[in-house]
Amino acid sequence: MSLQERSPAEPDVGVTEDGLDYDELADLLGDHVLDREEHVNAEGFVIRPDEVEDVLSTLKERAGFDHLSAVTAQEYDDRYESIYHLKKYDDPTQELSVVVPTSSEEPVSQSGASVFDTADWHEREAYDLVGIEYDQHPDLRRILLPETWQGHPLSNEYNQTQPQVVTLREHANPLQEDKQSPQDPDTMFVNIGPHHPATHGVLHVKTVLDGEQIVDLDPDIGYLHRSEEQMCQQGTYRHQIMPYPDRWDYTPGGLLNEWAYARAAEDLADIDVPEYAQVLRTMSAELTRIAAHMLAVGTFGLDLYGDFTVIFMYAVRDREVVQNLLEDLTGQRLMFNYFRLGGVAWDLPEPRQEYLEKVREFTDELPERLEEYHDLITGNEIFQMRCIDTGVLPPEVAKSYGATGPVARGSGVDYDLRRDDPYGYYDELDWDVVTEDGMDNYARVLVRLQEVEESAKIIRQCLDLLEDWPEDDRTIQSNVPRTLRPDPDKEVYRAVEGAKGELGIYIRSDGTDKPARFKIRSPCFSNLQTLPVMSEGEYIPDMVASLGSLDIVLGEVDR
Amino acid sequence: MILQATTLTDTIADVLGSLGLDAANPLVVLLAGLLAAALVATIVLLNAALAGPWAKRKITAAFTDRISVNRIGPMGIGTIVVDSVRLLSKELIIPEKADRPAYDLAPILLASSALLGFAVIPMGSGIQVADPEIGLAYVFAVASIASLGLLMAGYASNNKYSFLGGLRAVAQNLAYEIPLVLTGASVVIFAGSLRLSEIVAAQQGTFLSLGPVAIPNWFAFINPFAFALFMLANLAEVGRNPFDIPEAPTEIVAGYQTEYSSVYFVLFYLGEFIHIFLGGAIVATLFLGGPAGPLLPGIVWFLIKIWGVFLFTQWARSAVPRVRIDQLIEIGWKVMLVLALINLLLTAIIVGVVA
Repeated sequence: MSLQERSPAEPDVGVTEDGLDYDELADLLGDHVLDREEHVNAEGFVIRPDEVEDVLSTLKERAGFDHLSAVTAQEYDDRYESIYHLKKYDDPTQELSVVVPTSSEEPVSQSGASVFDTADWHEREAYDLVGIEYDQHPDLRRILLPETWQGHPLSNEYNQTQPQVVTLREHANPLQEDKQSPQDPDTMFVNIGPHHPATHGVLHVKTVLDGEQIVDLDPDIGYLHRSEEQMCQQGTYRHQIMPYPDRWDYTPGGLLNEWAYARAAEDLADIDVPEYAQVLRTMSAELTRIAAHMLAVGTFGLDLYGDFTVIFMYAVRDREVVQNLLEDLTGQRLMFNYFRLGGVAWDLPEPRQEYLEKVREFTDELPERLEEYHDLITGNEIFQMRCIDTGVLPPEVAKSYGATGPVARGSGVDYDLRRDDPYGYYDELDWDVVTEDGMDNYARVLVRLQEVEESAKIIRQCLDLLEDWPEDDRTIQSNVPRTLRPDPDKEVYRAVEGAKGELGIYIRSDGTDKPARFKIRSPCFSNLQTLPVMSEGEYIPDMVASLGSLDIVLGEVDR
Repeated sequence: MILQATTLTDTIADVLGSLGLDAANPLVVLLAGLLAAALVATIVLLNAALAGPWAKRKITAAFTDRISVNRIGPMGIGTIVVDSVRLLSKELIIPEKADRPAYDLAPILLASSALLGFAVIPMGSGIQVADPEIGLAYVFAVASIASLGLLMAGYASNNKYSFLGGLRAVAQNLAYEIPLVLTGASVVIFAGSLRLSEIVAAQQGTFLSLGPVAIPNWFAFINPFAFALFMLANLAEVGRNPFDIPEAPTEIVAGYQTEYSSVYFVLFYLGEFIHIFLGGAIVATLFLGGPAGPLLPGIVWFLIKIWGVFLFTQWARSAVPRVRIDQLIEIGWKVMLVLALINLLLTAIIVGVVA
């Protein structure tokens, strides 16, 4: 690892007591920096398109930016631009954007995939949707759209009326020739998915098997691509975008996703959120997290136990209680649409005390329920036999692939935006970030089960606050103009801790009431990239278990 | 409870004889045998029909806190008819490049091999088609024809998942049939005979008297270790959790039966359930005193016992994770086989020393 070349005592360049010193970072990069931009979340260094690798590796090795959160690509009237949103796993508030403009005529930019593994997929997406080509990219193919697609939908000259002929020639008759790995004629090619009981949606995994063992594996995504980014770009900030996030992670991660948009847009338009609304947000978001983790554990049970397991039903039973609570609060069971810019849609349902009692009852019963799960799942010896030391993801690899959420925490990466980049009411409350050092499927399940407990802890404290909240101070929304028009060319990248990990939103405004560019950094997208690392050399059942423990939602992967 | 020494075939032949036919005529004996076989097959198929579309759902629902079928008939039992019509009226889809007739024979082979086993099982109340001297060997032999059916299905479907499933099925059956037979052999050492009626007869009498409760002389009580071993190997033999890897829906879709639809699928499904019942029948005969039991007629006790074993498989299915293929093979060859051999050896020594 390149990180090890540096002695641990040497401090990261640019770190001072009051945050990052961008001047120092600019000095470190020297002539690489052509210009400096001011984004809302961080400064952006403009660099030449053929120096990406140098800049990224310098920043990674010398300045400690070890987390490439996302790559945003966009087209301006006169140029293309890729933005590498860099962060640190130790302190995600230390952010830096690396802005790489390329000419409109020849949008070619150097790839960062040799520095950050995660850039591989992110750049493929940028190529697919916007049309920037990445030089020295290991495998520059379309990722979300079919390989035969004409044009790049988010580029300016894209012709929306052009008919698309999707022939999928290579899938015309998969039986015609037995696709073998050319190096090893003893192998067998198998398409796992897109219609398969264990892919948790329409995921297609191209696998090459040697007997039961996986030699090569390539996840093929995009079957659920619904142009969410583009839809958000066509909605107005104030009301029309908020319903979309519910459709990304629908397990339900709805409220957590809404928070990602709310946080980014509120920072962009300088909107304050009343404290009371923050408490409501925190409580409802944690309820959602419990529901999402319950489903993750339940479906993992399906993967490991088979279709007739009790675990799925037990998990759904408990999730049902949460869903009822959320339905009482938001009026919806899945697509909540409860958050508003500057607060939430409405206060707790009346009678207020009764509702708080119901939530409290649920959180009080939860530890007992979790005991049951531990007896049934984590305590089972066959379960341990199957999960311990399978799907191993070392922390260094997890970081390089930009893994976040329970996947990273199961690999011992102590990273949780609720604590490290506080928002909402989290920093006022007393709770812990759960990490496990197992790095395997078992650790990831343990992390989820314990996080449910921590969420219950947070909810309980929110309940106490809500019960005693003075009646005349219950502002649920701050005063937000009917039409929001953030200043032109303001850019922001903000992330929250979603159910699956770091869910980030990049927004660039152009002075109108709709975003000029809306980019979603999906945690599942980055997490899924680690599947080949986890599964190659292992057995099919372990690959299925690893996929289950990654807990991807294809709605969020494909967007 | 008196165990009848004569078989059902003899009984029917006698009845036919009393109707004026020559009971010694081979044709009459053949007719009697066919009638007896039809009766036994009907009993077994009735149970499988009850188990497949209805009881299995109800049992799983009870474990998972659900209600399950309850719309047609009392407790939804009318579902059996509805499901049969539904399954049989579906289109029979046969893959273009399926290897026929192997593809067509496989489901028939699977269902019939399990059914054949019941020919020699003493089901109580005089229901037993034949009682050959090599009864137990016969049962194991026909039951393992099923593996051939699974391999045929997996290979002939021209589907990679089916292929993997077929291979898994054979690997699994090889690994578990040997411990199964060896454990069965330890019972044979106790009973001193392969004839199933004699094995049942050997389990009559009282093993222990605890006041008013008399624990019968069943081999499950005499040798609980062998019983546990047999139950475990039996789970693998019938392919239920934790050993349901030949089907493993979340790994290889449906294994060997992926490409089968309509009638063929019904045959597979039926064959699987008959197999579970045959497994239950072997367990009941070898370890649970066959049809022995107080008050109720033998056949009722026998059915209760095989349904008990069925219930056990469903319980395991609901609560136990599936093991991985390599772990399964390892458990089979490195643990079960060794334990079965030790069991056999100890039994032989004990029987040899005591007797």
